[in-house]
Order: sequence, then structure tokens, then C-alpha cells
Amino acid sequence: MVEAIQSRELITVPIGEVRLRGTYHRTHADSDSSARTGVLFVNSGYAPRAAFGDSAVYWADAFANFGFPSFRLDLPGLGDSEGELPETWLELSQLINDGHFAPYVSKAAKGLTERFRLSGMVVIGHCGGAISAVYAGAESKYIKGVVALDPYFFRNEEVRPAIRQEISVWVTRNKVAGQLGKVYRRLKKVGVIVRGAKLPANTNLTLIRNWNRLASAGIPMLVLNARGPSQSRGQFDYFRYLQQTAGGRSRVAIRFIDGAHHSFADNVGKAAVRHFVEQWLNASFPRLESKENAFAEELTVNHE
Amino acid sequence: MASQRYWQVSATVDINPVEQAGYFEVPGAHLYTVVHQVSAPLARVLLIGAFASERHTSYLPWVRWARYLAARGTECIRFDYRGMGESTGSFEEMSFSSWAEDVELLVAWLDRRGPRQPLLLHGLELGALLASQAFTAGVGDALLMWAPPQSANEVLRPALLRRIAVDNMFRYGNERKGVAEYLAQLDREPLEVEGYQWSSRLWRDSFHLELPAGAKVAGTIASDCKRPVRTVPLDKCPEPLVKGSISVLVDPDLSGLFADNFQWITTALVISAERQ
Repeated sequence: MVEAIQSRELITVPIGEVRLRGTYHRTHADSDSSARTGVLFVNSGYAPRAAFGDSAVYWADAFANFGFPSFRLDLPGLGDSEGELPETWLELSQLINDGHFAPYVSKAAKGLTERFRLSGMVVIGHCGGAISAVYAGAESKYIKGVVALDPYFFRNEEVRPAIRQEISVWVTRNKVAGQLGKVYRRLKKVGVIVRGAKLPANTNLTLIRNWNRLASAGIPMLVLNARGPSQSRGQFDYFRYLQQTAGGRSRVAIRFIDGAHHSFADNVGKAAVRHFVEQWLNASFPRLESKENAFAEELTVNHE
Repeated sequence: MASQRYWQVSATVDINPVEQAGYFEVPGAHLYTVVHQVSAPLARVLLIGAFASERHTSYLPWVRWARYLAARGTECIRFDYRGMGESTGSFEEMSFSSWAEDVELLVAWLDRRGPRQPLLLHGLELGALLASQAFTAGVGDALLMWAPPQSANEVLRPALLRRIAVDNMFRYGNERKGVAEYLAQLDREPLEVEGYQWSSRLWRDSFHLELPAGAKVAGTIASDCKRPVRTVPLDKCPEPLVKGSISVLVDPDLSGLFADNFQWITTALVISAERQ
């Protein structure tokens, strides 16, 4: 057994008494890394660092080939890293929503930046991982950018009513239910219009504050949202709200990926994340004497 | 087995488990492998995990189980099949024969590690099929199977149905496609299912990887092979390790399952009193 192969190396990142385990995806020219920005992936929810459908492995390989050293870490208790986790998903999501993993992410970003002599780190997180990335970005000078894949800004309900659960399952199996679902979503949309721009009661206000700190500091952020056939309709538009409150220095780019599922592990999602993140990396963190810089001129980041 | 004995880990034994991750070379790929080393192993367990779609849902309990065993003096090896997880290789080019070869090569490597210790093959879901296949070929001193399906197709079909359900969720009437249409598509080109590119070969081969005929009745392999076998359906487990979707429990308390199975392992494998 070996700890490194041509394109990857297994690493541990000590943070206090915790050792985070992870994978380093090498670029083609590793010896010349000092001017480069690294890319750090953190876990999505409880998934190991490979992520759903091994999508994080695919993206990390791609970004390393594109010239950005990439790292995937298991946060404490997740994947191969040691540590305690709560028993239920609800408890874990509450920890994530409170920023529990942020100190580990920010310290890992610092440790990796120094160890690999990088100019800084971009943190990529999906779903709950995006929440940790935002919190960490707000507290670390080593984090130069954040990519948030399908972030959410609300706190989870403690108990989903059983009847809602049953209806959700029924809708997936019944043709008539599909039509009723259309009506339901329209009614929900009307509710949002009536409420206006007021934040919903279950908004994660601490997260919103941290997001605004990042945005107002001019930290580049890329948000990619999976937009399946019905997603985003009938829900409060947090992105519109955040764009309105971000201030003039904001460098937040938001994209909606039609046809991608929430996990982005499907073909559409995988390809779109790769495409948009590579464009954004190249425009936001250009490398000196890089032939890929030619792409920067072509980039049109859509600030929706 | 010549006799049945129990072993106990003395409090004075320094087990000192260390987790060593590395890449193990196989034809055309490298397997991500984690050895849960102990300083003087009483036995070795090769953990043969679940299929691609179930990898991430079963990962935490699987790691916890490896640590549980290592803390009790049993060296464990867990790995990702080629083309999955942390291992290299293209999933689309793989089928069950590739993953069976992964098992064979790791067993051969364990044999070379020495000193010779009893070897348990422990398979979860699809891994149980691969483990039983190796076991009936003469590999290992005991076989433990958690949630073994009757065939690999029993693993693939629910994953395909989940993919179809998601696709159809917001389609209405005739827009909805059925299983037959997806299978026809799979015949023509690779089909993405839960992030993995399935080939038509994978689907076809899944009908041919079955539990050995005898294994459908617990204990039958044991009488055929004269080595102990245990099947645990996991249906009484508070939270199944393979479940195909996000569940309520992230890190369930499986101490009862672990203790019960560890006890079986200790009785199944004869450990020499005079360990070398």
C-alpha cells in the first residue's frame, strides 16, 4: 500500500487533538504552488468526503487538472475522521446550522494553505457543507472565496407532520396527485407574494449575518442552485433578499442549474458545477503566467 | 474448525489500534484501503462493503464497526471497490467480476502480511454476495453476511426505481416513463443512477451474481464448507445500514448489533492459545 499515487495523496490535518483525514488532488505542476489558490471541499451533511455519487472526487480531480490544488476533508466524526456525532439527522443539522464545524474548516484552511504554500483557499460546500463554508469564511483570512451548492437559510422543523410525509410519498406515485401538486405550489407562491420580503420565522439569522459579512467584505462567492422542475417556486427568495442587502462591494454570483437534482451528482449537475466553478475560479483567482487565463476574458458571471 | 474456543482481550494487552489509509494497486486502478491495525492481532476481518449507491449511507456504521473490532484485538481491512468512492478507476467500465477480483487480491495480500491469523470475510449487502462467492471458493475461515440479497439485481433494481421515482416526481400523465423504457435506454447507452454510470453489462451481470444455492438457508454453507457462516438480515436493526435514502438516524447506536456479532466471531474463529 502507498499513501500517494500520481494524482492523489492521502493526508491528515491535525486540529488540536483531532486529526482530519482527507485526500489531496495534485495539479500537474506541484512544485510551483505558492501563487495558487487551493480548493477545499467539506462534507455535505453526513456523507463521506467523496460526496453523493462520488461527485466531489470528480470535481476535485477536474479542478486539480485545471491548476487548482484540491483537498477533500472529512470533518470530525464524519467519513474517516474520528470524533463524535449526534445520533439523529435533526441534531446534526442543528449543529451545522449553528456553525459547529466552522472552526475546523477555518483551521484546516489555514493549515493547508501554510503546508502547501498556497495563497489562500476557496471552500466548497454542498447543502449543509455550504453553511459550514459560509461560517468558516466569515472567520478566516485564509479563506479567499466560497462556493455554495444549494445552500439553505432556514432552520429545520423538529418534526415533519406525518400527514405531509405521507402526501409527499403519495405524490411521487400517483398521476392525479401530480395535478394536485401543481395547485398546491401555486397556492404556496401566492402566500409568498402576500408575505412580501419579510424573512420567514424559521430563518437562520446568524447565517444571514455571516453571509452578509462575507458579501460586504467583497469576498468572491459563487452560489449554484439546482433547479428541478418545481424547485424554488412557492418559497421565500432568500437570494433576492441577500442581493438586496449585500451592499456595493458584494461579489456574489448566483446561478441556477436547470435540470440538476439537489445532490448535483447527476450528469447535468456534475457537469454544470465543474463548468461554472472553473470559470469562476479562473476569473476570481487568476494565476500568473497561466494559459487558462485566456478564459477570463470570455467569462460572463451572471449576478442575478 | 477443530474446536470452538472463545478469546478474550486481556486488559493488559496493548492493542493500540492505528488506522492506516493507503492505495492498493489492482489492474488498472488503485483501491482506497484502510487497515485498522492492532499490535498483535488475534484475527483478521476483511470488510466487503455495500454497492455504490449505498456506500455513503452505510459508511459511518461500517467505520464504527471496524473501530469496534480493532479495539478488541481484531485487525480490520475496509476498502472501496475500484471505480467507487476514494478508489480510482471508471465505474462505467466495471462489473461484478472486477469487484470480485478486488476481494481476491486483498485476500492474497492479507495472506502475505503474516503472521497467519484466522480470516473472517464480512460482507454487507452486495459485499455479502462477493464474500460468499470467495468463501465457497475456499477463502477465509468464517463468513459473516449482513443484509445479503438473493442476487445483485436485488440491489440494483431499487436504486433504479428510486431514480425513476425522482424523474417522475414532477411529470404528469404520459410524460412519466416506466422501468421498461429505462431498461431500453440502458441497452443503448450508459444510464446515470444516483451519480454512477451504469452499463448494460452491469445490469445483465447482476442477475448472475447470486447467493450460493445453499446459503439461502442459514448454515448450509457451513455444512458444505465445514466452516462457520452467519447471516444477519438486519431487519431487526433499529436503523438499517443500507437504506437508499436519507434517514432519520445519522450515527445510530448499534452497540447491540456489534456486540452480538463480535461474540459470534469469537466463537467462530479458533484462535490459537499460543499465538505466534
